[in-house]
Amino acid sequence: MKLALAFLAVLVSSSALAFKPTRTIEVVVHTGPGGGSDILARAVAGMIEKEKLLPVRMQVVNKTGGGGAVAAAYLAEKAGDENTIGFFTGVWLTGPLTSPEYKVTLRDLTPVARLVLEPALIAVKADAPFKTMADFINAAKQSPGQLKQSGGSPTSRDNVVRQLLQKHTGARWAYISFPGGGERIAALLGGHVNMMVIEPAEAGEHIRAGNMRVLAQVSESRLPGFPNVPTLKEAGFDIPAVPQVRGVVAPPKIPAENVLYWEDVLSKLTKSASWKKFLADNQFEDGYQNAADLTKFYDEFTGRMRGILQEAGLKLVR
Amino acid sequence: MDVATGLLHGFALALQPLNLLWCFVGVLLGTIVGILPGLGPPATIAMLLPLTALMNPAGAIIMLAGIYYGAKYGGSTTSILLNVPGESASVVTCLDGYAMARKGRAGPALGIAAIASFVAGTVGVLGLMLVAPPLAKLALAFSSPEYFALMSLGLAMVVLLAGRSMVKALLAMLVGLWIAGIGTDVFTSQSRFTFGRMELLSGIDFVVVAIGVFALGEVLANMESREEAQVLPVPKGLRNLLPTMQDLKDCRFAFAQGSVLGFLVGVLPGAGSTIASFISYGVEKAFSKRRHEFGTGVIEGVAAPEGANNSETGGALVPLLTLGIPGSGTTAILLAALVLWGFKPGPLFIAENPGMFWGLVASMYIGNVMLLVLNLPLVPLFAQVLRTPIYVLYPLIIGISFVGVYAGSGSLFDLYLLAGFGLLGYLMRKLDYPSAPLILGLVLGGAMERALRQSLMMSEGSLSILVSRPISAVMLALALVVLMIPLFSRFNTWRLRAMEQEES
Amino acid sequence: MRHRSPDFWSGLALAALGAYIVAQARGWDYLTDDGPGPGFFPLWYGIAILACSAWLVAFGKSPNADWRGTGRALATWAAVALSVAVVKVVTFAVAFGALSFFIVAVMYRRPPLVAALVAICTVAGFYLVFPFALGVALP
Repeated sequence: MKLALAFLAVLVSSSALAFKPTRTIEVVVHTGPGGGSDILARAVAGMIEKEKLLPVRMQVVNKTGGGGAVAAAYLAEKAGDENTIGFFTGVWLTGPLTSPEYKVTLRDLTPVARLVLEPALIAVKADAPFKTMADFINAAKQSPGQLKQSGGSPTSRDNVVRQLLQKHTGARWAYISFPGGGERIAALLGGHVNMMVIEPAEAGEHIRAGNMRVLAQVSESRLPGFPNVPTLKEAGFDIPAVPQVRGVVAPPKIPAENVLYWEDVLSKLTKSASWKKFLADNQFEDGYQNAADLTKFYDEFTGRMRGILQEAGLKLVR
Repeated sequence: MDVATGLLHGFALALQPLNLLWCFVGVLLGTIVGILPGLGPPATIAMLLPLTALMNPAGAIIMLAGIYYGAKYGGSTTSILLNVPGESASVVTCLDGYAMARKGRAGPALGIAAIASFVAGTVGVLGLMLVAPPLAKLALAFSSPEYFALMSLGLAMVVLLAGRSMVKALLAMLVGLWIAGIGTDVFTSQSRFTFGRMELLSGIDFVVVAIGVFALGEVLANMESREEAQVLPVPKGLRNLLPTMQDLKDCRFAFAQGSVLGFLVGVLPGAGSTIASFISYGVEKAFSKRRHEFGTGVIEGVAAPEGANNSETGGALVPLLTLGIPGSGTTAILLAALVLWGFKPGPLFIAENPGMFWGLVASMYIGNVMLLVLNLPLVPLFAQVLRTPIYVLYPLIIGISFVGVYAGSGSLFDLYLLAGFGLLGYLMRKLDYPSAPLILGLVLGGAMERALRQSLMMSEGSLSILVSRPISAVMLALALVVLMIPLFSRFNTWRLRAMEQEES
Repeated sequence: MRHRSPDFWSGLALAALGAYIVAQARGWDYLTDDGPGPGFFPLWYGIAILACSAWLVAFGKSPNADWRGTGRALATWAAVALSVAVVKVVTFAVAFGALSFFIVAVMYRRPPLVAALVAICTVAGFYLVFPFALGVALP
């Protein structure tokens, strides 16, 4: 009996690994060359090659436009294609909520895995009167609407953090959108805004030069690069973590065994040394989730985002 | 490290044979990339990034920077010869450059573009070397109100580009503003004028409009006549192939203001080389004795914008190297490259990596010289392109336009848009609507709206923020002055005519 | 029609655009809590377009353009549009080759052999330069 079971097990596992890509894998990203997703995809492709996790090469394909809408639509067109995957980010989840032009949401595609969470820091100019997060919140309470934060579009994580904090504390401050990261930092350093949510990699040098100060971290646990900065929870602001995510998705109608294969490759990747180094260098958090968990995360995340965006005064279409 | 020592070390590094080679490879690649429409420095640099991992970082940054400013040299070539902007900043060069080519002066146009690029490029590097840190601090004082004032000044220049009918120029500019507004509003995520199409969610790419209206529009307009007539006379004789001494003299002011203006605009994060070249062109036209001839092939009209878009590269490197803030798409990728090689661009970069900084600066001097030496002799060669019979040239232009646009975005929808804008360009020509204001409105419209709304958010709704800050107040005043210019000249003619009537 | 300057018609067309813009802008927020909304700018430049085009319709005096060659230009444009429409179906080589052939043979009345030669050479040139030498995809 045990032999039969063992035989069955081998049979099942080998059929689960029966899928093997035979052509160059097309990796779809929604940014142009040099953009966030593009760099991540190229880095992942490089690491997978180095660790020899795939028998074939990976080729990054840029399908820009519509903040992910074009890339998502492209993946949907490739339904059933086993040799295509895509890298998604938070924009793919929030975009469809506010823009009716999105034809394809992440749910229409096949979720594969979640890879990284990008933490952030709450930063102010070095000569600002705020030494802790509480200082800023109190100042905001005293002059509602007068303090200003620079950030990206209102659906971006920057504003989500602001909405959650405002709701939690009752303080209010203004939010000014700047399409480019450089402009946001320039606005902060020039004293035109009071605070911003910034990525650790971007902030590092300005902090080292003494131009910026960090009040709190937007992450689950303290980042190794910032051991002395409290997380929002530790600072007393118990808001739900709404992270900036990146992960892998596949065209619709892919057989389950393919998904298992990809999950296998990606989870092996996340255990490798080069991945750990990559995370450390870029100050990302490992956020690996397999396809099932990713689907749950997606539903939870979208539900929460709907609430947050509605409170932010945005018009939702889905 | 003071300037002299730094420069010496820099040249020692830049003159090493391997680094010289990378410099040459970079500027050559850059020139080619600039010539081909649609393929720009950001994409090229991104494609080469993995290769640079095998090189030493100094050589790599020298090469990538070479691509960056080399592309500005090449961009003018197709603008002048074919009315196809090779690079978005070269759009302004099309205005007088192509007109010069039609008058048989393609050679001098190409030549002056190369010379202006050299002069301005060198000034840009000088600026980077000498005034980078204090200027960067000053640039931080520039924020949304100042940007709004700058954009207003730029749009006020439309009165200088108007030509015969001011109303038509205004209409063209307004349509440009509208096209700029197509897409997702960054402040509210509201989709505007997207007609339900997701391809329009991020707006219409400037290159698609520029190539459509300029290049395709021109080809369609030329299709009307079947004559064999040589549309573009080929300059004969060496003297006609290069700018004359008189030309160089005419361009003195252009060289000066193009270099300075381009550099200053480049320092501002977010303001790009297209804005720099428009402003420089406008200033040149405002101060020129031949201002009414602009648009018909005036050589200063080529020198000014070409100079400005080259010194802008030097300027754009200022916020990147002194603050770690990328001001444009290309500098963003250069930033990514520096990070990839383990550097940390930021306020401490120059102090901690003086070798890299000075090596880069020295290589830029060398690179500009290389580009001048590369481009000038090629001028007669390029001018021969005009010998091609038009029935070969026009299909080629159409083909280059489509391939170029597709290379940039990979989107079939963009090709439909291109065809549409080609028709628009043709109709504008027939109905006598000037196309420069359309491009001006398109380039500045989005930035201006954003700057105004950001300013009002900063001031919590009060417009006074625009005039209470000195820099923006001054620029808005200048914009008003510029708007008054046609009124002054009309007042002047009226006054003169009144005096004549009195005397008779 | 002979008495109406072309400005009348282009003015009308632009006025229609202006009206469309204003209508759309009315559907968006003019002012939000944080400042001007998405409807602010479009409303104003839409009104400006209406005003300018109204002026043009009333006072525009441009001389009539020479419309004789327009048929040829529009025919060429139609060929271009058609070639873009079919490029995904028949590949770039065929679409562009046909367009070149059309331009040379029909527009410029060159003999078919020359037209074919031009078409083939330019297509080959494009394939050589772009995908082969530069690795850039063609439509």
